[in-house]
Amino acid sequence: MLSSIFGSLFTTRFLATVIRLSTPILFAAVASFIAASTGMVNIAIESIMTFGALAGILGSYLTGNAWAGLLIGLVVGILTALLIALFSMRLGASPILIGIALNTFADSLAIFFLYQIAGEKGTSASLPTKTLPVVNIPGIQNIPVLGQLLSGQYVLTYICWIVLILLFIMIYKTPLGMRMRACGLNANAARTAGINVEKLQIFSLVLSGMFAALGGMYLSLNYLRIFSKGMVAGQGWMGIAANGIANGNYGVLLLSALIFSAFRAVSIVFSSSTIFPVDLVAAIPYFAVFCFVTIASIIRYYRVKAGKVEEQ
Amino acid sequence: MIGDTILKLDKVTKVYPNGTVANRDINMEFEKGEIHSIVGENGAGKSTLMKMIFGIESPSSGTITYKGQEVHFQSSLDAIKAGIGMVHQHFMLINSFSIVDNIILGDEPTSGAFIDRKEATRITQEVSDKYNFELDVTAKVSSLSVAKKQKVEILKTLYRNAELIILDEPTSVLTPQETEKLFVQLRQFKEQGHTILFISHKLEEVKAISDRISVIRNGVSKGTYRNEELTMEQLTNLIIGRDLESDLEQFKTHEDFNNEKAMIVNDLYMERNGKPALNKISFAVKKGEILGIAGVEGNGQLDLIRCITGLEKTAYTGKITICGKDTTGMNIKGRRDLGMAYIPEDRMGDGIAGPLPISDNMISTYYTRDDVNKGMFMDNKAIDRISDELIETFAVKAENNKVSIDSLSGGNIQKVVVAREYNTHPKFMIAEQPTHGIDIGSAEFVHHKLIELRNEGVGILLVSADLNEVMDLSDRIIVLFDGEIAGYFPNARTVTDQQLGMYMLGASHQTEEEIGGALND
Repeated sequence: MLSSIFGSLFTTRFLATVIRLSTPILFAAVASFIAASTGMVNIAIESIMTFGALAGILGSYLTGNAWAGLLIGLVVGILTALLIALFSMRLGASPILIGIALNTFADSLAIFFLYQIAGEKGTSASLPTKTLPVVNIPGIQNIPVLGQLLSGQYVLTYICWIVLILLFIMIYKTPLGMRMRACGLNANAARTAGINVEKLQIFSLVLSGMFAALGGMYLSLNYLRIFSKGMVAGQGWMGIAANGIANGNYGVLLLSALIFSAFRAVSIVFSSSTIFPVDLVAAIPYFAVFCFVTIASIIRYYRVKAGKVEEQ
Repeated sequence: MIGDTILKLDKVTKVYPNGTVANRDINMEFEKGEIHSIVGENGAGKSTLMKMIFGIESPSSGTITYKGQEVHFQSSLDAIKAGIGMVHQHFMLINSFSIVDNIILGDEPTSGAFIDRKEATRITQEVSDKYNFELDVTAKVSSLSVAKKQKVEILKTLYRNAELIILDEPTSVLTPQETEKLFVQLRQFKEQGHTILFISHKLEEVKAISDRISVIRNGVSKGTYRNEELTMEQLTNLIIGRDLESDLEQFKTHEDFNNEKAMIVNDLYMERNGKPALNKISFAVKKGEILGIAGVEGNGQLDLIRCITGLEKTAYTGKITICGKDTTGMNIKGRRDLGMAYIPEDRMGDGIAGPLPISDNMISTYYTRDDVNKGMFMDNKAIDRISDELIETFAVKAENNKVSIDSLSGGNIQKVVVAREYNTHPKFMIAEQPTHGIDIGSAEFVHHKLIELRNEGVGILLVSADLNEVMDLSDRIIVLFDGEIAGYFPNARTVTDQQLGMYMLGASHQTEEEIGGALND
């Protein structure tokens, strides 16, 4: 029994599961990363994912078009990000407190709207909703192993991959990206170089809100095809943790997000057996995050001490 | 070309929203291709004036005319575009970026949508070579020395084709040799038609480099003069508005304190990275004297002070005695309770709590004392009274004792630190770089207070990188070199700076017997 479980960890199906599970965590990770690049803190990613997920589903139901739902979800993500910008940059509130407030309030607000429109408090299952498709790529889908991994994914997974590539190019190859990083590394230096720091910070928050909303909508519009209460389940926090480990390194960011996704997949594989208590198995990915963040902090501590990296 | 006015200030006034008048009716003209210094004490309004020229602040009234056009810069970007560059006192560099990236930031050469790094490197290297900067522009800024970082800052302005370059206290971070090189470069810029605006409070340097000098005092212009029109004395008078007492010796009284020792260091030894940082150092500070420690920075001064104050409690061997008590194993509070006071070098980091009001900073090293406590609570009325008294005695320029201390100028902050340590009624005081980076008026004030304490019988250990300060204030002098006492001079009045220099650079070393006097005299 145990050997068959471990055996299933090294199959193409397992890798496909990791990819399926990685999309929302990758979105959350880049959402956290892009905000941090200009020196902003967005800990409201979890709640923006929830808002985005619900807005996407309700938008799709109300318009009868899943793509229109996606657009509405994006708008909600942007508006939430602008709300954070307004409160933290104009009105002087702490971005951490705003994040805590939004996160505390997200689930209840989502249920309120769900109940108003669907008449239910748990899921959107009663609403006839159009959702986004799975994409089979002709040609690739027939290649063994690779075909199973690269073809037949949800459309938002492909969008996620495109976002990852475009974001890399923007951050490291364009003047805009260099200016954004300058704001995060030394805002005064950026300002005296004639850069409008506040504008770029707002822009990075808007992007952060969009990415987080996309992560949420992957869950509701694409993967699970419904909105259900508590569906984000800490994946926004995993993205924030990945960004914490990365400390400005894009490669480490994506790798950390993928490792967290792998542990989520492990947890799913193990939950099909009866050997381990279900609750313990469900805790695996969160425990993994805890371990990785701790290890990363210890490594950074010694690297700073040894003078290999500067303290930011 | 010289003689054309490039920048003209006409009745420029800056009043901050809290009512502080930083500049009043400033009229100044800057000619194309001149090196024009602006001098004044800290807090006199030099920085504010520069910020207005560079577009960081806007004037409350008056006009700025640049190249014949009245300008209203909304941000530094406007000033940069117009051809004004500024080298800030605190470098505005991004350490993890390369030199190239720092220089092109905000005005990047592109090919298509992307940064053209090849072109950027080429242009940057070209500008660097043109002005003999000797920089490898692909290097990371974090790996550069301070002098090179400053070159990068200057290069930034040249890359943006600045015709008018403002340098804010550029020599404060440089060695004399580096300063000399900077001056050579500045003269080169001048020959190429750049106008240099040089801000400083080091008057020798101002006299050495300037064509013309403008003086600001208390936010008001005291006129612009040709360098050769002014003697050093006249310049000093213009800046502080009165004659400086140049000889401090006359303020010293010579009471006899029976040769009693305020602090004794015996055989102090400490290692850093496996090498001795302090090697068997012994000396004593007597009551009623100032013992000066001269030396090039980094020869053990820092560790010596850390050991004496108790910042290092266990890392050393040897014995430190304060007011007759062995301090082995004693923490900072314990040593302070014996009568130690400490004016730290890092004013902003160790000397004060920036965001807190002056009043809290005035008592922060003796907040448990009876006179500022009432039962289990702080006695705020007493704290107010004490702060107000000290603010008055020490001539701290502040609205009241409740403004946060980091809103004051460097000189006024240092006065608060000195006032606080003074009010601990010390028997032994460590003054570490007590006038570093503050204006002449405040520095003079601090010197007088130190002498006053000395005359009252306090033993003072003065550590300073400013050789003039050590020579002017001290009764006896020790020179530290490479963690050891290289020389001891029982009479500071008879020693010359050349003599001290020989010991500071390790060219001379006294015998053990001679050095023994530091402990036994």
